[in-house]
Amino acid sequence: MSSSSVTNPSAADETLRAQIFQRLHPRVYLERFIAEKIRPDGRTFDEWRNVSVNVGSISTADGSALVRMGDTTIVCGVKAEIAEPELDHPEQGFLVPNIDLPAICSPKFKPGPPTEEAQVLSDRLNEALVASGVLSLSSLCIHPGKAVWTLYVDCTCINYDGNAFDAALLAMLGALRSTTLPKATYNEETGRTTCSRKTRSPVQLTRNFASTSFGVLDTSHVLSDPTAFEEPLMDVTLTVIVDDRGELISTTESGGAISEETLLRCINRAKERALQLKD
Amino acid sequence: MAQSANDRRRINGPEESFTPVFDDEDDEDFKLKTQRKRGPGDIRPIFLQPGLISQANGSAYIETEKTKIACAVYGPRQSKTTTYSEKGRLNVEVKFAPFSCTRRRAPMRDAEDRSIGVSIHQAIVSSIRLELFPKSTIDVFITIIENDGIEGCIASGSLAASTALADAGIEMLGLVASCSAAIVGDGIQLDPTEAEARASSGTVILACMPALDSITSIWQSGQMSADLSLKCMEQCYERCNDIHSVVAQSLLEHRKTD
Repeated sequence: MSSSSVTNPSAADETLRAQIFQRLHPRVYLERFIAEKIRPDGRTFDEWRNVSVNVGSISTADGSALVRMGDTTIVCGVKAEIAEPELDHPEQGFLVPNIDLPAICSPKFKPGPPTEEAQVLSDRLNEALVASGVLSLSSLCIHPGKAVWTLYVDCTCINYDGNAFDAALLAMLGALRSTTLPKATYNEETGRTTCSRKTRSPVQLTRNFASTSFGVLDTSHVLSDPTAFEEPLMDVTLTVIVDDRGELISTTESGGAISEETLLRCINRAKERALQLKD
Repeated sequence: MAQSANDRRRINGPEESFTPVFDDEDDEDFKLKTQRKRGPGDIRPIFLQPGLISQANGSAYIETEKTKIACAVYGPRQSKTTTYSEKGRLNVEVKFAPFSCTRRRAPMRDAEDRSIGVSIHQAIVSSIRLELFPKSTIDVFITIIENDGIEGCIASGSLAASTALADAGIEMLGLVASCSAAIVGDGIQLDPTEAEARASSGTVILACMPALDSITSIWQSGQMSADLSLKCMEQCYERCNDIHSVVAQSLLEHRKTD
């Protein structure tokens, strides 16, 4: 940078001024880009960031996945434990998803108990997994009324660059798909359950789905897969979850009113995206 | 495992759940797998990648076989306290991911997290020029993604923290390299895994700045004679020189690709 400032003082200056402008007037900065039909990171309005999924790399977890959606990095691990089932559902296991947004992932999160954002995300993920019925809870039963599997699905965000929900859902599904449970036998006399280290069987998932998030600016510009810079400036955020057969699982919209046409357009794009992500 | 403290902030599972207990007959197979495959003086290969976390001022990801640690540095930023401090503050926070250990860890921070934080703090604090940042705090956040022994965590964590600080461009006196050793029987084994550390009678973790030929921290725990502990420290110190070149190399390569 020192050598270029001698020959080309305006280039480094320009970048600095652009960065200052971005910090001081983020919305105007974004609007200037939108006027040119492009986004600050160079994508068009409906372009997605590259997604990469790495499965099964953590040996201490029964299943794991690492998802990178652009810069947003989420690690998900599944731990299986044995518990007593609830009295009114003696054949159902438990599925406990959680996401943690620690201070490491972004300067806006401070260390301490889960922030509102993390709690909301956890809840939405829980609803998505439960509403879709992706895992049949009765398949987690070891012995009715006595012992069932509890799958703790924990996500940790390592780098938060917007759209944590999509990445987290993808990570949770990837981790669940790679989860193997040891064969467990319940001893009726002692009341204890012992597992075999040798035989492991994978968890049965019923369907595969993907979620897509959009942000709407000024009721007309729909940006898909918003980054951490764009997210807080959006008027409305919309998330659509579609499964691989094209069926709609859930739609969540928050922030304001959008037209039905926008909603339908987003649902169609989400379906295309689900097909894209099938691999 | 009481989870009542997190009742309202996280999705909760059943009140109590137990880690699966494995049959004893499978243990023999398992014991064979934990025998050491490398020599007593060999450390596990280190993969160190700076600049992984784009949101942070500086970051590093370190992986040594089964230990995976991500570290981010934010700072110097304004101190939250109103008291004036001439020197900057260094705040090290360590967090275990719930799936990082063989038994699932509750997401709350407990004593083990804090003690590792203190060890890493002691290892790196003398290398940073804190007098250049009055009234500021440098936050170092470490997330342990996979854990294979606490000694390995502290050693790798200190390496990651030092690399992340260098990546953030914070002025330092030197890079900190750290190595751990365990006494097994009469012999010294460097860089013990969790199984090896449990089987050992004592461990030593040494952190130093090879560039300045000075030691920043030594943690010794367990039973060992004074001679043996001094030998451990010497071996660790020699190994730290190699580790230092690995760290420097990865930082240089990262800068070149920028």
